[in-house]
Amino acid sequence: MSLSRRDFIKLFGASVASLVVARCNWQPPATPTVTCYDPAIPPDLPPSPPSSARERLRLLWLRFPELAQAISKGGDQEDTWDNLLGQEMVADHRLALDDLVAEGQLSSPVADLVHEAYTAAIDHTWRSNIPITCYEAVIVDYTPASAAVLIQQTQVLGELADQGTIDPATLATVRTALEHDLAYYALSDSDVNALYDKLLVEYQQSGEIVPTFEQLELELTPDARAAAQFIIDLLTNP
Amino acid sequence: MTSRPQLQSLIFEVTQRCNHTCRHCYNVWQGDAPADQTPYPRGELDSARTIELLVKALDETTCNHVTLTGGEPLLRPDLPALLDFLKGRNIHTTIISNGRLLDESSIASLLDRGAGLFELPLLSHQAEVHDHLSGAPGAWDAVLAAMANIRLHRGQFVAAFVATRHNIEHLYETMKLAFGFGARALMFNRFNPGGRGRDHLEELLPSVGQVRQALAIAESASTEFGLPVACSIPIQPCLIDTTAFPHLGFGTCAAGTNRAYYTLDPLGNLRPCNHSTTILGNLFEESFAELIAPGRMAEFTRAIPAICTDCARRKDCQGGCKASAQVCYASLEAEEPFLRMNRAVEPVA
Repeated sequence: MSLSRRDFIKLFGASVASLVVARCNWQPPATPTVTCYDPAIPPDLPPSPPSSARERLRLLWLRFPELAQAISKGGDQEDTWDNLLGQEMVADHRLALDDLVAEGQLSSPVADLVHEAYTAAIDHTWRSNIPITCYEAVIVDYTPASAAVLIQQTQVLGELADQGTIDPATLATVRTALEHDLAYYALSDSDVNALYDKLLVEYQQSGEIVPTFEQLELELTPDARAAAQFIIDLLTNP
Repeated sequence: MTSRPQLQSLIFEVTQRCNHTCRHCYNVWQGDAPADQTPYPRGELDSARTIELLVKALDETTCNHVTLTGGEPLLRPDLPALLDFLKGRNIHTTIISNGRLLDESSIASLLDRGAGLFELPLLSHQAEVHDHLSGAPGAWDAVLAAMANIRLHRGQFVAAFVATRHNIEHLYETMKLAFGFGARALMFNRFNPGGRGRDHLEELLPSVGQVRQALAIAESASTEFGLPVACSIPIQPCLIDTTAFPHLGFGTCAAGTNRAYYTLDPLGNLRPCNHSTTILGNLFEESFAELIAPGRMAEFTRAIPAICTDCARRKDCQGGCKASAQVCYASLEAEEPFLRMNRAVEPVA
């Protein structure tokens, strides 16, 4: 798959936001700036308002859980609809980046890409948490159904079959599909690994070579790589 | 330079043709248009011109999701080619279908081409009720077979339940059926009159009491089956306190906002949403940004029923579905049918 520089940096930003939100147990904010990590504030977070542009930037990248919570709790309020908090965070992010550029810590093109990633991350967080409109069906959870759900479905299908109203061929099809799903849970770790190996071999036998990361068609400029690396460093090496 | 509008999703009506005659159908070209209204333009473009239309729409916006609907989209033989094009542009796709033509081979083909989600009707656990509402004998058997085959091929689908007087009492059993077949969610859409549905308004429109009772059932069944339920069609909070159903998602009209779901018809005409007959213009003649400029959308976005003027919830509720008011009563500012029919019975709070 070809992935353009623009797509890459946006997806990168959205992925980082998802990771930050996923690892966070949100609690009511103790201060306006330190929020989602309360009460377990990481030791690397400054106890007082950040003084450096880099610290401000880092805190902004950690505020996605706060934003998600504000959006989902805000419901249909106009501020939420317009994502005012998100807009404020984007503006603060730009200011912090401009300071870093002025201090010579970051080049202007890389700063622009970091900002593009942050804007995409804000947008992703907003879209993922805003209440549905009158057209959206629902945000579908694509994770596999749990074993408990599959067992409950088996029972329901049994009841439906007893009613005798559904075409037997259709029932057979859906039961086959259900058995496929259930089979996954009967596998041991080594079975799963063997399955992956088998798939890999079949994939390669069909003429497809699984590319290494370096072989992926990522149309990345050095600036895009530098921007992604900057964000990683920002969050992992405060 | 004008920036590209950001769209959460674009709805593309690939064809106006359909093999069912649903009594509740909201397609704007269906039903008997009042004598004083111009009939909605009919027709569709050939494959090359359709791709050209999609290229223009996607080049002129920032959009990563397209919903292919109709009519019945599978009646277009070039649907696979349209999906190939969208997949090539890294666009996520949802297909809204009645399921009639979704046999195993077509499902496998569409999934290979990137169809991410199917939205299929499931109107009852009783075949005769589903078939009656669909205006098509055999519709229930066909949609269940489609659901089974989608699951067999590792696809995803959500079931759409349109709540009418004929089927609203079947909600629990229908949710159970959807769950058993592997639906990832259920759409509970109270009947929203438009298109052909306008001709069956009094026959189909449920009372507020019926909807309230159904929501209580949906709330309970959602928990029992772990099945997410989205009530997308707006339900006025003055008629029903939606906060009493915390497990259900409730939708509001997004027209005119950056979450709007603009709808492109098969000829390139753009509308504020799929329910509205308002044509903002043709995308072949103007840019997307020009078509959705605030001036064009103003009439639609500002309209609100007089009764709602002083309501604190008017901005998010907007009186319900103004497109339905437009289609049924020829005015965007009219009270839409669910509000009009029910507020006499259930006085507005």
